[in-house]
Amino acid sequence: MKAATRKDVLAWLTKLMGEYTVIAPTVVEDNVLYRPVASTDEIAFDFTRTDMSPKEHFFLSTQPILSITKGHGEVSLAEPPLEREQVIFGVRPCDARGLKVLDALLLEHEPADAYYAERREKTTLIGLACPEMWPGCFCTSLGGAPDDAEDVDVMLTEAEGGYLVQTVTKKGKNLTDGLVLSKASGKRPQPRLSPESVPVPTQEVWRQHFDDEVWAHLADRCLSCRVCTYVCPTCRCFDVRDYVTQSGVEGSVIERLRAWDSCLSEGYRRIAGGHDPRPTKMQRLRNRFYCKFHYCPQDFGPVACVGCGRCIVACPVSIDIAEMLGDVAKLDKR
Amino acid sequence: MGTTNPMRPYLGTLIGVKDLATDIKLFQVELNDSQACERFIYRPGQFAFLSAFGVGEAPFGLASILSRGSALEFAIAKVGTVTAALHAMEEGSIVGVRGPMGNCFPLEEIKGKNVIVLGGGIGGAPLRPVLHTILDQRDDYGHLTILWAARNPSLLVFTDEYDDWQAAPRTELHLTVDQGDESWTDNVGLITELLEKVAPSSENAVTITCGPPIMIKFVMLTLKKLGFTADQMITTLEAKMKCGIGKCGRCNLGEKFVCVDGPVFTYTEISQFLESFV
Repeated sequence: MKAATRKDVLAWLTKLMGEYTVIAPTVVEDNVLYRPVASTDEIAFDFTRTDMSPKEHFFLSTQPILSITKGHGEVSLAEPPLEREQVIFGVRPCDARGLKVLDALLLEHEPADAYYAERREKTTLIGLACPEMWPGCFCTSLGGAPDDAEDVDVMLTEAEGGYLVQTVTKKGKNLTDGLVLSKASGKRPQPRLSPESVPVPTQEVWRQHFDDEVWAHLADRCLSCRVCTYVCPTCRCFDVRDYVTQSGVEGSVIERLRAWDSCLSEGYRRIAGGHDPRPTKMQRLRNRFYCKFHYCPQDFGPVACVGCGRCIVACPVSIDIAEMLGDVAKLDKR
Repeated sequence: MGTTNPMRPYLGTLIGVKDLATDIKLFQVELNDSQACERFIYRPGQFAFLSAFGVGEAPFGLASILSRGSALEFAIAKVGTVTAALHAMEEGSIVGVRGPMGNCFPLEEIKGKNVIVLGGGIGGAPLRPVLHTILDQRDDYGHLTILWAARNPSLLVFTDEYDDWQAAPRTELHLTVDQGDESWTDNVGLITELLEKVAPSSENAVTITCGPPIMIKFVMLTLKKLGFTADQMITTLEAKMKCGIGKCGRCNLGEKFVCVDGPVFTYTEISQFLESFV
């Protein structure tokens, strides 16, 4: 195990800023968000769970996917490229795992999503192990761990007044070439785990309880506000719309935008003519939970929840995904 | 990204726009790039996204077959913003085309069988390739029974082809409308009533249905009454979509995506979905 002093890590990050867009946790109003930084002074080193996951730098909340120029009877299309490679500092293991879930959906399930693929390829993840599990965290119940280094390129663990440094991938190795490393003297500190675990029902149990009354009961207080979807590191529903940015006699310039959407929205499944096969709040909330724990495993492999706990914290009416898992597990034992 | 980006449409030119019915037009699109034309190999039942640049894009069933010409044809009802923008376009306008997408009708597998085709309203659009394929390879299929319906006579699609369909050997066409008008002399009533009246035999037969969800549901129930098994009932489902490639999450029915697992399903498959399509 290697180690680096805090001072050397700061110098390294500063150096990286010359070559990459460095994205790190920063305090924006009262939130901690991953944002591009120009100096290490802007980085919030002392953070727990960021309010949004770094998903927003791979699958953007609003992303131009096509630039369309129309005029004189002609149309031309261009795809806006990502100009500069990115480094994201301070990625939590659960969020890195969330990206692996998105990889399964957006890359491995062909055809690959070109926009996500480009950002994934051009981004290096510097992980930061969690010292403990915070209220709402349940990553360990879903196979993760607060210090799981598997899905990042470099993993840092705070220790000995600096960081323990684990290079995980080749990309990570290339990045840490610029970091002064020494041999670690102590052992890697163990994170403090939550004593409680959340049961994850089997695929069979999900199939059996689709029509159970538990869904209506849970959805009763859902506001369809969609915040759970937006804070989720694995939700990936999107909408595509054209936005005219310039319009005149010579022609027009249009941006085709892709934006986060949510299956909880009313009318999400409505088709031309007005038919909606999923008209109730109960059906929509159930779809979200089933998408995470039944549909994604069936279609793409992984469960689409990493136990980050953001939706539990963000929900204005305290719908608790971990509690829901417990309820479904209880149904099985009934 | 270029050609490897499935969200980037091909450019195409509207080479023909024809009125088919009230607020329904047939759009003929020729892809501008000859390489794109070569790549655009599609089969009956598949669909494509059409872009009205500046307004948006939406998925539409392909209403043509490759062997009848290179133009891609779409029968489109004016019901929303994208379709209204397309309806406002004239010949020569440029549109975007993404596709072909989805699975197709099992027209190879059902050779030798009697085929009953049930179309309701604009649901007739993706069935036209089925009819054209069978009519062009008439000897490969058994008896063809077409049940064609619309809310009223002005909404019946492909009326200019009825003579051809009826003139084909071993082919019958039955029309019905929910509500007739003064010049309408044919059947009045729901397609399910017509189906019970025509009562095709289920022996060595398959049915192919497209229409509004409620129609599909009741057609399936009527077919069951007539002795058809769920495997003999094939249908194609509609869903709102944003990508067509299994990513955007809009069109799922349980763990299935209408865009990549469908749009063509047997009733056996539909009955196994966790969620109802209706």
